[in-house]
Amino acid sequence: MNEKELVLAARGGDRDAFNELISNYTDRIYRLAWKLSGNQEDAEDIFQETFLKAVDNIDSFRLESSFGTWLYSIAMNVMRTCFAKRKRMQLGPIEDYMPDHANGANSKLLDWGDPHDLFENEQLREMIDSFLSKMSPENSTPFVLRYMEDMPVKDIAEVMDLSVPAVKSRILRARLALRENLTEKFREKKDG
Amino acid sequence: MDNCREYLENLCSYVDGEVDDSVCREIEKHLAGCPDCRIMVDTLRKTVRLCREGKEEPLPEGLKARMEAILEKKWKEKFGKDEG
Repeated sequence: MNEKELVLAARGGDRDAFNELISNYTDRIYRLAWKLSGNQEDAEDIFQETFLKAVDNIDSFRLESSFGTWLYSIAMNVMRTCFAKRKRMQLGPIEDYMPDHANGANSKLLDWGDPHDLFENEQLREMIDSFLSKMSPENSTPFVLRYMEDMPVKDIAEVMDLSVPAVKSRILRARLALRENLTEKFREKKDG
Repeated sequence: MDNCREYLENLCSYVDGEVDDSVCREIEKHLAGCPDCRIMVDTLRKTVRLCREGKEEPLPEGLKARMEAILEKKWKEKFGKDEG
């Protein structure tokens, strides 16, 4: 069965069809929840709640998007609720992340070299995960979807109910903020 | 453009290979004479590379089985049976 046939069968109560539909997404939804929450307990809650809501709402899914986009949209809503009470780091405007090195001013930029010369892989991963989990989800979510889940920008826009330029702007700010955070860590290490 | 800040928005797209040829040529011309923007491009590229290198978080043991049990219960509530 193709995706449309699977959805129609699931809507009629065929659980095997539903299981086949979600089989490609279980690991991905958990990974996304873990990256954005930064802890296993929330990731498990988000994971289970997403699929429960998918069962609840499968009969109202009208195939206006792909099943994956629809499922990610549910996950986004679950995460929004989960994160609503948490204080997260708000990112500044793009200009805040560009050191003023133009017009002959002294450079403030650090040449990273090879980060693996400074930190082990596991340390680098922990730094990145820690920073992303503290970042406002409005920025971390599109960044993780784009670069860790390889989701096209137009699909992220659909999942997050945003315009493509808005998604690009949020991804850019997240990338610049993460770059700056890593730069600080590398500078500290180099300065010893 | 004589101020590097004006390049910033396009630098990420440039790093991701998402700018058209004319913008690409303009940025590369700027990069040839601006060591700091070269560092910015290099570190923006490495930022994403490091993210992609990270080990993927595996599903915790037993989570899938627990979820299947919960979904089965939910499915029965919704459809009154556990199979299509």
